[in-house]
Amino acid sequence: MARIIGTDNPLSDDQQRVLAIVLDLIIPASEDGQRPSAADVDVLGYIRESESHTLDGLRAELDQLDAEAFESQGEAFTSLDPATRKALVDAKREREPHFMRTLAMQTVTCYYQDDRVLEAIGVGARPPFPQGYEVPSGDLTLLEPVRRRGKVYREP
Amino acid sequence: MVHSARDANHIPSVPDRNTEQYGGDSREKVMADDVVDVLIVGAGASGAAVASSLAETRMRIVCLEQGGWMNPAEYPSNGRDWETRAAREMQTSPNLRKRPADYPINDDDSPIAILNFNAVGGSTILYSAHFPRFHPSDFRVRTLDGVADDWPIDYGTLEPYFAENDNNIGVAGLAGDPAIPAHEPPLPHIPMGRMGEAMGRGFNKLGWHWWPSDSAIITRPHNGRGECLNLGPCNAGCAQGAKSSADIAYWPANERAGVELRTHCRVREITVDNRDMATGVTYFDADGIERHQRAEVVIMACNGVGTPRLLLNSTSARFPNGLANRSGLVGRNLMLHPWGMVAGVFDEPLASNFGPQGCCILSQQFYETDVSRGFVRGYNMQITRGVPPVGTARGGIAQGTIPWGDGHHGAFDRLFGRSIHLGICCEDLPEEHNRVTLDPDLADSTGIPAPKISYTMSENSWRMLEHGLARGAEAMEAAGAKRVQKASSPLRWAGWHLLGTARMGTDPERSVVNEWGRSHDVRNLFIVDGSVFVTSGGVNPTTTIQAVALYIADSMKQRLASLFD
Repeated sequence: MARIIGTDNPLSDDQQRVLAIVLDLIIPASEDGQRPSAADVDVLGYIRESESHTLDGLRAELDQLDAEAFESQGEAFTSLDPATRKALVDAKREREPHFMRTLAMQTVTCYYQDDRVLEAIGVGARPPFPQGYEVPSGDLTLLEPVRRRGKVYREP
Repeated sequence: MVHSARDANHIPSVPDRNTEQYGGDSREKVMADDVVDVLIVGAGASGAAVASSLAETRMRIVCLEQGGWMNPAEYPSNGRDWETRAAREMQTSPNLRKRPADYPINDDDSPIAILNFNAVGGSTILYSAHFPRFHPSDFRVRTLDGVADDWPIDYGTLEPYFAENDNNIGVAGLAGDPAIPAHEPPLPHIPMGRMGEAMGRGFNKLGWHWWPSDSAIITRPHNGRGECLNLGPCNAGCAQGAKSSADIAYWPANERAGVELRTHCRVREITVDNRDMATGVTYFDADGIERHQRAEVVIMACNGVGTPRLLLNSTSARFPNGLANRSGLVGRNLMLHPWGMVAGVFDEPLASNFGPQGCCILSQQFYETDVSRGFVRGYNMQITRGVPPVGTARGGIAQGTIPWGDGHHGAFDRLFGRSIHLGICCEDLPEEHNRVTLDPDLADSTGIPAPKISYTMSENSWRMLEHGLARGAEAMEAAGAKRVQKASSPLRWAGWHLLGTARMGTDPERSVVNEWGRSHDVRNLFIVDGSVFVTSGGVNPTTTIQAVALYIADSMKQRLASLFD
C-alpha cells in the first residue's frame, strides 16, 4: 500500500514516481538538452492549482498502473525496464483513453508555459506584456496585382 | 453660460410623466426624483459611441451598464500562464464564463452559440478588432439581388460616421483597398508578418483580391494611448490598451465630457406612460436594490440579443407583446454570420504566433453576389494568426499530429509558428423564424427572464459556407500549405455578431425603428446597436454598428427641437 507522507503533496512517493515515468513518456527531454522532460516541470502543481477536481482520478489511475505491473510482471511499475513500462502505458492508453488523454492535455498545458520550454521554442521566458514582439510590416509591393485589377465592389 | 447652452439644447419634456406605469413586487424600490435628459442602456460599442456624440449637447446623460470596469493590468497576457488564464477567465460564452455580470442565454436551439462580454466596453473587451466596413451593396440587397430588404439609409449616409469613428478610436489600415470606397485610415496598417506575405502571394497566384485589414488597434500613439506591441492574445483583453475596446477608446473621454456611467446596474425593463412615451427604466443597482431612473429619452445599446430581451420583458397594457413591438418584429430576423474555418500548416517558419491574433489581411474576392456560385450575397475571408504554444500542443495531441514520446518535439516544431487560419464570415440573410424570445424558465441572478435563441441556417447560407470552405482550402494550397484542414462548420463558438432583431425601416408594419433609430411606437425610445441592422453584410459588424450609432446620435442632435414629433 502506498505510503502517505505528511506534506500537502496530493500524491504519495510511489504515486509521484509512477507519474514522473508517465510524464517522461509523454514528453521526454529533447536530445539537444534544450527542452526538459515533462517529468521535470511542475505538472502536478498545475493540476493541483488548475484542475484539482481530477486529482482523485489521477491517484486511482497511478495506483492501478502500479497494480497492473505487479500483476503482469511481478514487480513495481518503477522497477520495470523502459520498454515494459511503455508497453503497459500504451496498453492503458488503448484501454482508458479518456484518462490518458486528460493527463496528456494537462501535461502539455503546463509544459508549454514553463520558462525553459518557452525560451527553447523562441517566445522567451516572459509574458507577452509589456515587452511584446516584433512583427515585420510586410512587403506592400505584393499588392500591385490587386491594385492593377482595380475596383471590385458594386455601386448600387 | 452653462445654463443657457444647456437650455438651448434641452429636449422637450415627455408629457404627463406622472402617469408612468410601474410594475410591483415586494423588493425594495427606490424612485429617483431627478429626470435625466438621456438614459443609455449598455456601455458597449454602440452605447459608448452614441454617448460620445451626444455629450457635446451638454444634456445630462446617464449610462447604465450591468458589468464593471475591466482592469488591463489583470488581463492574462500580463503572466506567463496567459493561455491557461485566457481559457479559464475570458470564456466567450456567458453560459460558461458565469461572471456576476453575465446573464444566461438558452442557445440550445441554435447550431451557433451566442457569445458576448458584459462589462464597460461590452463585447469589444474580447473582440478581435478586425474592422472592415460594410460595402455599398450591403445597404441595397433587395434592389441588387432581390432578397431581404434595402436599408432606409446607404453607405453614403454612414461614410462620415465611419470616418468619425475611425478617428475617435484609432483605426489602422492601408488606403487604396479596391474592395471598398476610398477612405484614409488614420493610422498605419497592422504588420502583416511573413504569414501575411505568404497568404498574399497565394491570393496573387489565384488572381484574387486581398488587402491588409482595417483594424481597431492603434499602431502609433493615439489620444494618449500606447501603440500595439504585438502581444498576440487580443481576444483575451489587451493589456497594453492598444486595442480600441470601447472602455479604453471611448469611455474615459465620455466621462470627462460629463457623461455619467453607472456600473453594475442591470436594467429590468423600460417603463412607459399612457401616451406611449418612455418614462425611464427600472434596474437593479450594485447592491441589488431595485431603482427607477426617469428619463426624457431612453437609448437601447445592449446588442442584438440584449435589446430585444429587455423590450420583450417590458410589457404593459399598451404593449402586451413587449415594448415597441406593435410590428411583432422585436426579436425576429436574428442574423449571426455562420462562420467557417480553414487551417493551413506550412513547411517554412512564419512566426505566425506573433501579432494581433485576429488582424492581418483579408480577401473580399467572394464578397459580392455572383449567382453562378449557387447562392446570393457573399463572404469575407479573414486571415488570422497562428496558434500559441499551449494551443498548438493541445491541438496536436487531440488530432494525433503531435505524438507522445521521441517524436514529440519535432512534431511540435513542425506546427508551431507555421500555421495560418482563414475565417469565412458568411452574410446571413434575415428570416423571421430566427429569433430571440424570453425563456419561460431560465432567468438571471436578479430574476429577469433569460433570452432564448431559435435559429437555423438557410440553404443559401449552407451553400455559401461550403463555397467558402472550398475556396479557403484553395487559397491555403496556393500559399504553399502542406497540410490543409477544414474545420467542422459552422463553428459553434462563433456567435459574436448579433444583428437584426429590431430592424430599421420606414414602414412601421415592417420595422421596429425608423430610418434614424427612433422607435415607431415610442417616440422617445431609440435603438443604436446591431439590432437595427436590416441585413448583416458579410463582415465583422462593429465599425458599422458604431457608425450607425454616431449617425443616429447626429440625427437626434439635428432634431432636438422636434425630436418627438
